[in-house]
Amino acid sequence: MRKFAKALSVLTLAGLGLFALAAPASAHNSLTGSNPADKAVLDAGPAEIVLTFDQPVQEGEGLNSIAVTGPDGEQWQGGSASVDSNVVSAPVRELGPSGTYTIGYRIVSADGHPVSGELTFNVNTAGSGTPAAEGDPGWIDMDPSAGGGNGDDGGMPIWVWLVGAVVLLGAGLFVALRIGGGKQPE
Amino acid sequence: MKEARTTAVSRLHLVGIGIGAALLAVLAGLLLTPVRPITGVLEPDAVVRYGLPVVRVLFDLAAVATVGLNLLPILVGLSRPKGAERVLTGARRAAAFSALALAVAALATLVLQTAEVLPHAAGISFSRVTEYVATVSAGKALVFVAAVALVSFGLSLWSVRAGEAVPAELRAAVALFALLPLPVTGHATNWRWQDYAMISMELHVLGAAVWTGGLGAVVIALAANRTLLAHTLPRFSRLATACLCVVAATGLFNAAVELTSVTGRGLVDVLFGTGYGLLVILKLACFAGLAALGANIRWRLLPGIVRHQRTALIGWAALEIAVMCAAFGFAVVLTRTPVA
Repeated sequence: MRKFAKALSVLTLAGLGLFALAAPASAHNSLTGSNPADKAVLDAGPAEIVLTFDQPVQEGEGLNSIAVTGPDGEQWQGGSASVDSNVVSAPVRELGPSGTYTIGYRIVSADGHPVSGELTFNVNTAGSGTPAAEGDPGWIDMDPSAGGGNGDDGGMPIWVWLVGAVVLLGAGLFVALRIGGGKQPE
Repeated sequence: MKEARTTAVSRLHLVGIGIGAALLAVLAGLLLTPVRPITGVLEPDAVVRYGLPVVRVLFDLAAVATVGLNLLPILVGLSRPKGAERVLTGARRAAAFSALALAVAALATLVLQTAEVLPHAAGISFSRVTEYVATVSAGKALVFVAAVALVSFGLSLWSVRAGEAVPAELRAAVALFALLPLPVTGHATNWRWQDYAMISMELHVLGAAVWTGGLGAVVIALAANRTLLAHTLPRFSRLATACLCVVAATGLFNAAVELTSVTGRGLVDVLFGTGYGLLVILKLACFAGLAALGANIRWRLLPGIVRHQRTALIGWAALEIAVMCAAFGFAVVLTRTPVA
């Protein structure tokens, strides 16, 4: 038991060392600042949305999104989000009606956890812009299952993967029960 | 013979009770921490929102079972009473299956986590999963766990054939090693004491797995054999006491780190005012219950068990296992919840 405890502690330290080196960043990533600031009142629409987080954000195709939704419910972001370490930004179209715009974001933290949230800003004077429509840069298809989703490369639905997992487990149970014991006293 | 059959049934009931308690706790935890839809941004669909924590808790339970079943030969010890070998062969088969379940659950978790970060994708292709593994450390950790679990599966199958020619220490070490990668890639903290929080998290996971897995394995594999039980339970009881202390100390430390990391809100406010805080309270309640149940077995039942008397161990152990598995369920939701 004592020997085992010793071996266990050595093993634990070795494992910790290995993964402490492999994954230095692991944390709750959270929003620390933004431009425009939350609940800001602006005279003209911003050219871009800049969100600053306290930890680096994971870069990757389709991982991070920033959406600007107008008082009319239309989409006003002018392109997809780009990442520079812990800053995520997205261009904004020339805004239309005055009123409250909502910034929705969903980013993937460097540790793999999605982080999402909402901010708002107010625009006093109406602009002359038009909202994003299907096919415009940054336009988000809110119903990707209806076909033509952003960057669909014909993967399998989740349930197919899960059924595969269950089948694999069944096969494993069969093997574990059927394998003959070599030495069976009694 | 009749008695043996009824115990086999009640033993399978124990496994069912554990899984059921864990799933109920996951569900309760999810209800306590609802996600607010974000305007204009896609969220993953319900399969991912509910499937991921469910698969993740099954993953945890498979890991716990693998650890417990592989520790069993060490807990039984070398001076084995007659009849131990037959019980241990059964435990080795079960260990092989739980190791395979762990590997499969790790890969299923990987697919679900890939889907979680790609809400736009209508389906998940193999290349998307490999891309996730290449970019996200949690992906690499899951692949590593699956590989270690497959090694454990192989070792257990081998030991079914070759008996203790496969060193029990090696099997236990491999099973425990599978626990290590994931905690460091999950939510820790951005605090300056992060390294300590990480070590504390690892110890918490190891302690909880050895405690739960050990109890489950000892009760389920040995309850029908009073001689073996009288021989093994006192040894496990000492180990469980150590685990209890480790789990309490590290759990309190990690909770304090997370709860005090919220700026601008008092500790009490965060504890009672957020879903995260409520989950911490639920886990504390689980722990208090476990300490009481453990003490009950240690001081009220153990003396009788040592004297080879018939006791109500199965019933009490079932309750303790249910609470433990519920704590794992809450833990799964807790790791997925941002504090405040």
